[in-house]
Amino acid sequence: MSAATTTRATTPGVAPSRRPAVRRWATSYLMLAPALVLFGVFVLYPLVGAVRISLTNSTGIGQAQFVGLANYRAMLADPTFWQAARNTALLAVVSVPVSLALGLAIALLLRERIPGGGLFRAVFLAPYVISGVVVAMAGRWVFDQNVGIVDRVLAGAGLPQPDWQSDGTAAAVSVVLVLLWARSGLAVILYLSALQGIDRDVLEAAELDGASSWQRLREVVWPLMRPTTFFLTVMMVIETFQVFDIVWVMTKGGPAGSTELLVTYAYGQGFAARREGYGSAIGVVVFVVVLAATVLWWRAQRSSEDEQ
Amino acid sequence: MVTPAQNASRPTDPTRRRVLGAAGALAAGGALSACSGFSTPDSGGSGSGSGDGALTMITWASDVESAAFAALADGFEAETGTAVDLQVVPYSEVLTAVDTGLRTDSPPDLFRVSYTDVAAYRRQGVLADLADADTLEPAFLLAFWAAVTDERGTFGVPHHTDTSMVLLNTAAVASAGLGPLPTTLDDAWTWEQFADALARIQPSRADTYAFAANWQNAGAYRWLNFVDQAGGRLLSEDLRSVVTDDPGALKALTFTRDLFRRQLTPANASARGQAASDLFLNQTVATAFAGDFLLSEIEGGGFEYSATFLPRDVNASADLGGNALVAVEASPNRDRALEFLTYCAQAEQMAAFCTAASVLPTRGDIDASSLRYPVRPDLMELYVQQAQAIREPLVQQVVVPSFSAINAQLRDRLDEVFLGGDDDATALRRITDGVAAVLQTS
Repeated sequence: MSAATTTRATTPGVAPSRRPAVRRWATSYLMLAPALVLFGVFVLYPLVGAVRISLTNSTGIGQAQFVGLANYRAMLADPTFWQAARNTALLAVVSVPVSLALGLAIALLLRERIPGGGLFRAVFLAPYVISGVVVAMAGRWVFDQNVGIVDRVLAGAGLPQPDWQSDGTAAAVSVVLVLLWARSGLAVILYLSALQGIDRDVLEAAELDGASSWQRLREVVWPLMRPTTFFLTVMMVIETFQVFDIVWVMTKGGPAGSTELLVTYAYGQGFAARREGYGSAIGVVVFVVVLAATVLWWRAQRSSEDEQ
Repeated sequence: MVTPAQNASRPTDPTRRRVLGAAGALAAGGALSACSGFSTPDSGGSGSGSGDGALTMITWASDVESAAFAALADGFEAETGTAVDLQVVPYSEVLTAVDTGLRTDSPPDLFRVSYTDVAAYRRQGVLADLADADTLEPAFLLAFWAAVTDERGTFGVPHHTDTSMVLLNTAAVASAGLGPLPTTLDDAWTWEQFADALARIQPSRADTYAFAANWQNAGAYRWLNFVDQAGGRLLSEDLRSVVTDDPGALKALTFTRDLFRRQLTPANASARGQAASDLFLNQTVATAFAGDFLLSEIEGGGFEYSATFLPRDVNASADLGGNALVAVEASPNRDRALEFLTYCAQAEQMAAFCTAASVLPTRGDIDASSLRYPVRPDLMELYVQQAQAIREPLVQQVVVPSFSAINAQLRDRLDEVFLGGDDDATALRRITDGVAAVLQTS
């Protein structure tokens, strides 16, 4: 007698109860089907396609030849790729913590009724809801080293005027500033929502225990913000690896590659240089790095929560 | 004391699973978003033929060019009874639209393509060989015919050209005492005279400069004008390798880097910088290299300007601009598409198109002075002369199949060396090493 038969014989009632379970799964998958189809068509299929193209010498025209890992080997010896990788990592390290701090600070300000709160809200939320290209165009004109308002104001104040388009450090700073302006809106919205979810009794209890404002922020509010901060960190790191429009419009990766990011480089190689295979290979590397970073961060977060 | 854990499981909090799910989806879709073209975007075209026997042609076009193409299509239909369905797409989308059609076996019958892109399609066997090539060839100027021809055949018609000249803001150069500007190609300034003229232009403000060259981004290859003027080469005679330590290239690099070192040109006019025409229009620079196709835009600048020829050294040389019309080999309407190309290549049709679109003819038998250009006809006459300096040795180097990759490499390396501090020989090696690496993998 088979084990299955034994089980059925010794545990009467299992078979009838599995049918509803199967029905539940079927219902779940039916409900999931539209999302899975969209995921498959718009994410999985292009992803597999990108990996396949990355193993060819495709130019975008006609038949491509399989070249194995040649594009990946070329990447190892490509100084511009490494420069773009360094720039991307640096942008993530600098811009994500600053965006989080800025977002939380503005959310704390906006939580209270302050004079000009509406204006504040509009200034920081507007870039998040308008086109990135429009934000970048505004940034480009504001930071233009010949006719930009920033240099004019600095000149009026008798201060030195950075060469925003021809000095590498100044160009990188201008991109970071516009990026911070563009993305802090998301952090503000999510932190505001999380702040409103904090139980007032908790804060009152802390206050009664003698905690100062700073202590309440550090010991109560900030830990309670952890899930939101975690979510924002993951989202922003991913976004950093996707930053394209702002850099493309403001600096096109220049001067001398100082603002070149992996995504702008992949685009430039794939389309402007007609090295579609190589551009795809860079895209695949970006995908693997982002996925690995996300998983590592998630595990670190889980262990930290488990310890509590 | 209340601990955060007591309040940590609000239903509104993002859970780890949701975060990882969202992150995974974003990572997969988003990280590759820059490569969205890999997933065959919408072409904007409907493929070959429209079922009623009409030819389809994908092109980009300004309003005046659109009208000029429509006139060509109307004329062809009146003569042969075959309609031409023009699909006008933005310039940045045109190659994507063509490539998508080719990949999905629904190519257009015809498309417009820059000379520097012809070879990439030619190498893949995409283009139809021009049936009337022998008849047409004698009428065309050699450099342009060479841009669409290789040892296997002629793959399209050189439809028109454009090239660069030096534009000068009249007021900004007034105090420089430049005297009468050269009015014939033979009298063009030498490099020394050109540099001397730029040095005499006094900037009106601290943030204005004498000059900007048009070697930004897709125009990086225009730096090769200087190399050719100095009698140098970037690519070898067989176009398969890079010429290292070429004296002409070194001389060109020294001369162009000096423009930055002497602050005659702004640092943000480097190869990844702002377009020279923008800097000229906002009067950051007093002079700039600019193509004839920009004249209508510059006319809107609200200031007076004139033009003179590109400076010369060992050679007078100008950049190859302009576009060819090509037919697709795999088109079921291939023969009629080639007929349309032959029609467009006739002197009467080319003259009408060039006049309407303010571009220059590629046929030697068209008297350009007889063309009635609507915008600055006085300067267009000079551009016609300048186009005679487009030299075949330079043309051959910019119509190689891997030109796009070479141009991208030139842009990046030129930007580095214009703004960097390497000595000139090292800087040249940086450029040639970069181009050599691209040639190896293309």
